[in-house]
Amino acid sequence: MSESLLCVLTEDLLVRVLHHLHSDADRKSWRLVCKHLNRVESLTRTTIRILRIEFLLALLHKFRNIQELDLSLCPRIDDGAVKVMLSQGSPGWTRGLKRLVLSRATGLGHSGLEQLVRACPLLEAVDVSHCWGFGDREAAAISCGTRLREVNMDKCLGVTDIGLARIAVGCSRLERLSLKWCFEISDLGVDLLCKKCFYLKVLDVSYLKVTSKSLRSIASLLNLEVLVMVGCSLVDDVGLRYLENGCPLLKTIDVSRCNCISSSGLISLVSGHVDLVQIAAGYCLSELSGPLVHCLKNLEQLSVIRIDGVQVSDFFLQTIGKNCKFIVELGLSKCIGVTNMGILHLVSGCGSLKILDLTCCRSITDAAISTIADTCPDLVCLRLESCDMVTENCIYHLGSSCLLLEELDLTDCSGINDIALKYLSGCSELVRLKLGLCTNISNIGLSQIAYNCRKMAELDLYRCVYIGDDGLAALASGCKKLMKLNVSYCNRITDKGMEYLSHLGELSELEMRGLSNVTSIGIKAVALSCKRLADLDLKHCEKIDDSGFWALAFYSQNLRQINLSNCNVSDVVLCLMMGNLKRLQDAKLVHLFKVTVKGMELALRACCGRIKKVKLHSSLRFLISSEILDTFQAQGCKVRWD
Amino acid sequence: MDPKGSLCSNNWARSACLTSPGNGLQTNMSSDPSPFCGVRIEAPFKDFNQPSTNQSLLMAEPNKDIKISDIENCPLTDSSSQTGKLQDWDPNVMLNNLSFLEEKIHQLQGLVHLIDNKKCQPFAQPDALVTQEQQLITADLTSIIVQLISTAGSLLPSVRHTLANTSPLVSQLSQLRGLNLPFGSGPSGGIQPQNNNVNKVFDQSTQNDVPNNCEVEQNNMEEHETKDEEDVEEGENLPPGSYEILQLEKEEILAPHTHFCTICGKGFKRDANLRMHMRGHGDEYKTPAALAKPHKETGSEPKLIKRYSCPYAGCKRNKDHKKFQPLKTILCVKNHYKRTHCDKSYTCSRCHTKKFSVMADLKTHEKHCGKDKWLCSCGTTFSRKDKLFGHIALFQGHTPAIPLEETKVPAAPTDLDSKDNTCDKVGNMNFCFGSNPPNENEVQNIMDVKGNIDDPINYFSSLNFEGCNFGGFNEFSQSPFEDSDASFSFLMSGSFNYAPKPGCESTSDNL
Repeated sequence: MSESLLCVLTEDLLVRVLHHLHSDADRKSWRLVCKHLNRVESLTRTTIRILRIEFLLALLHKFRNIQELDLSLCPRIDDGAVKVMLSQGSPGWTRGLKRLVLSRATGLGHSGLEQLVRACPLLEAVDVSHCWGFGDREAAAISCGTRLREVNMDKCLGVTDIGLARIAVGCSRLERLSLKWCFEISDLGVDLLCKKCFYLKVLDVSYLKVTSKSLRSIASLLNLEVLVMVGCSLVDDVGLRYLENGCPLLKTIDVSRCNCISSSGLISLVSGHVDLVQIAAGYCLSELSGPLVHCLKNLEQLSVIRIDGVQVSDFFLQTIGKNCKFIVELGLSKCIGVTNMGILHLVSGCGSLKILDLTCCRSITDAAISTIADTCPDLVCLRLESCDMVTENCIYHLGSSCLLLEELDLTDCSGINDIALKYLSGCSELVRLKLGLCTNISNIGLSQIAYNCRKMAELDLYRCVYIGDDGLAALASGCKKLMKLNVSYCNRITDKGMEYLSHLGELSELEMRGLSNVTSIGIKAVALSCKRLADLDLKHCEKIDDSGFWALAFYSQNLRQINLSNCNVSDVVLCLMMGNLKRLQDAKLVHLFKVTVKGMELALRACCGRIKKVKLHSSLRFLISSEILDTFQAQGCKVRWD
Repeated sequence: MDPKGSLCSNNWARSACLTSPGNGLQTNMSSDPSPFCGVRIEAPFKDFNQPSTNQSLLMAEPNKDIKISDIENCPLTDSSSQTGKLQDWDPNVMLNNLSFLEEKIHQLQGLVHLIDNKKCQPFAQPDALVTQEQQLITADLTSIIVQLISTAGSLLPSVRHTLANTSPLVSQLSQLRGLNLPFGSGPSGGIQPQNNNVNKVFDQSTQNDVPNNCEVEQNNMEEHETKDEEDVEEGENLPPGSYEILQLEKEEILAPHTHFCTICGKGFKRDANLRMHMRGHGDEYKTPAALAKPHKETGSEPKLIKRYSCPYAGCKRNKDHKKFQPLKTILCVKNHYKRTHCDKSYTCSRCHTKKFSVMADLKTHEKHCGKDKWLCSCGTTFSRKDKLFGHIALFQGHTPAIPLEETKVPAAPTDLDSKDNTCDKVGNMNFCFGSNPPNENEVQNIMDVKGNIDDPINYFSSLNFEGCNFGGFNEFSQSPFEDSDASFSFLMSGSFNYAPKPGCESTSDNL
């Protein structure tokens, strides 16, 4: 970029241009152009995700207009860190903050959380999901944010009705609330919530031990649009009948895995809400009764229906195809009774289908898939896992008609071969492709995909035993945007293949279990070049020795999860890795036969304070000093014993 | 039961031996035809055992028997047939009924006295005779009890309304049956025909029959001072004028004692206690007559029921109030006056917030105080969670309070379940202090904490918790376990050639 061009572009024009850059990589390139562009970027940036707490203060000084702060990838956030953040960050950086993501911030205590929430006067959303140690005190801390509209408390295992009551009373403007897996919450808490927060639009009570009484309370919410109640096994048809006459704005309902509800309950629910848009009822009915299908006929607005694991008839698919013209997503995963005929009836009406899940519908053949491909040109996602009868014939239709296809799951489809992949490479928009257990594909087919599907971000080649170094070479040259790759048990891959992989700069998740031909040389190459690598699975890579792990310890500084089970790592190097990888949150350290108990203790001490989850062999349970385990516990680290 | 015949003949034979002729005895027992006693006992009890008995049946049975023998009972029978209708009742009839009972009790008392005196005579009596006498008294007592129950049944409005279901009465009866079982089961019960004893039994039965009557003489005084009046009698609708209104003065109400010893001046709350006390002043107070409950003069004319008025002007319980509701007993008056018009001087020794004016209320509260674990931000406590939530739903801005002593031990099921709670606490404490720079004090600290772990406040001192890591934040490598970091860096720079990347790839990479 020349000087003159920069003179022409004023700041507001630059801001406009910047708005069109979405991916992190593009923005990074932008920042690196010159100081001017960098300044523009830092001024307009509203969201920030901190990977290392070390840089937090500097970043807070640099970006003054932050509205969203994401600390979920910062394993070391704790009360002390919050204090420093608030006292030494740029003055008033919290004033404009609207959204705070603290997911998995298990080291945070209630006092730190409260300080943080109180410091942000405009805070509208808090996410503390998966902070499993959080309880009522933390909920009380959150309730200090009186302007909160959105709270996510998934898996805050200690939160009881009392904590929920605090939030219900404190945050009366709440619109979105997720209480998934807060097992201690009962009807009482939900009832109070519904009495205090009338503005609730989205409520998730999945897996709570609530009964139909709660649904009576929920039915009084006049603004509720989305109700998710997966796995509420105490709720029965009585509860659904309460909903029939309540929640006038209800658009989306998820009753999956509610074992106690039946067709009649669903009928009453559906007949009360004719403008339902989404229904999910997987694994709660054994079969769809005739009357229920008749009721579904009236739902003209219906666009998403998921009925996984239910026995369906051709009649149902025909009814849907005839009446629900706007259906966009259909989930028939593990449904019994899905036939070619049914699919033909279905797609004859639903031309706008975008997402179709036919996982484990084993009687589906090429004929059905070809028809889908021909009649649904908008198809974006198709899942055909375990559809054994699918061959290259239907893939031909997919590759020629469904040019918008982004996601395709062909796991365990033994009919897929290199020819099929060649046809498939016509879908140039493919982003996610799963070919696990497709044992008939080889480097040739993979090369076709690699050269034509350049947007590929996620590829699963689990146990594709004919895939070797050449295939990876093609991938490395074609799919530069690949972020997630699974090459577990592709035993033909050697160090050479790993060197090709090292050219994938965006690679962040690499699963390479049981690659018996890869040595330290290959892993070194990956460690040196794949800077973004965050998740690495090296289980059973027995040829990698200490030098490979050293390389990881020094160069893969962004590693967040690592699986070293059954690896030849020694005491010293393990300690080194655990001490040096400052972003590590999750480590699986099972069956390390070269590591002594003392070495393991040292390694654990080295990562203490950062690590959030560690898996150890159960024999170590009584060998490791209890002091370490207590400290882990105190710092919010979970130890799993294998 | 013995065969009727033998009982009858023996009885008369025995009475013939007595100083007074058989006639005298007969007149004494005019209301009680003893030959029929066997039959009479059985009939009512059989009925009481059946829960389905309705009142009219119940009333009719004993009354029928009485009618056979006694002319005096005629009005009673009427009244019982009236109460059978359950709707209206006549206080006059009731009073008749009561005075009849009173008389009967007197007669029985005389009989027992007789037996008692006789026992003091030098010559021994055959056992069989004693047994028969006991049975005689038993039978009499039973008939009195039955009479009392039926009277009480028609007396109590609440009972009257629910009598169709018979449940309250039946339960009372079953209770009664349990109490009086020795009578029904004959001589093996070992009841001594003693004046004192009979009196006591009578007291108990009255207590059972008239639960609203708080002034029952009993020895266990403390238990009885509970708040049983006021609420219970709300339903009472005595027509004005059907009762006599008494109003005690304030001083009288608040006086701690109402019965005073004429000899030493000691005060008592109850006459029974005074009587017990009097025994210490000489043998003359030990006679059964002196110890017996003094009966009110047996006026033949029916008396008005007594009701009480509160001396506090303007009170609903004051007789001048428009919607005056009388108080039933003196105890009611006392409790009402203290609760409503007096300072609450008794403070709970546990919570130091709740205050009461009646000692019994305080004691009741103290039994539960501290068990109210559900606390609202306004300071109100609840024994039940749903009550707290109802309260919070009702009042704007109220929110549940989280008790301070709650520890931060995660409620999550942990994998470290082999440890007990104390262990957790120790672990936490170690952590708290672990962030201090290691010095000699640290060990001391930890020791101290271990010693203090029973004290929850000390344990969960937020100061300790926040202090940790605070200093270490800037450098990000000061937690005690990371001391190993230093050694490793030394290790790696010394022996290997991997240069640690300085500060990683600038900030941009970390975004």
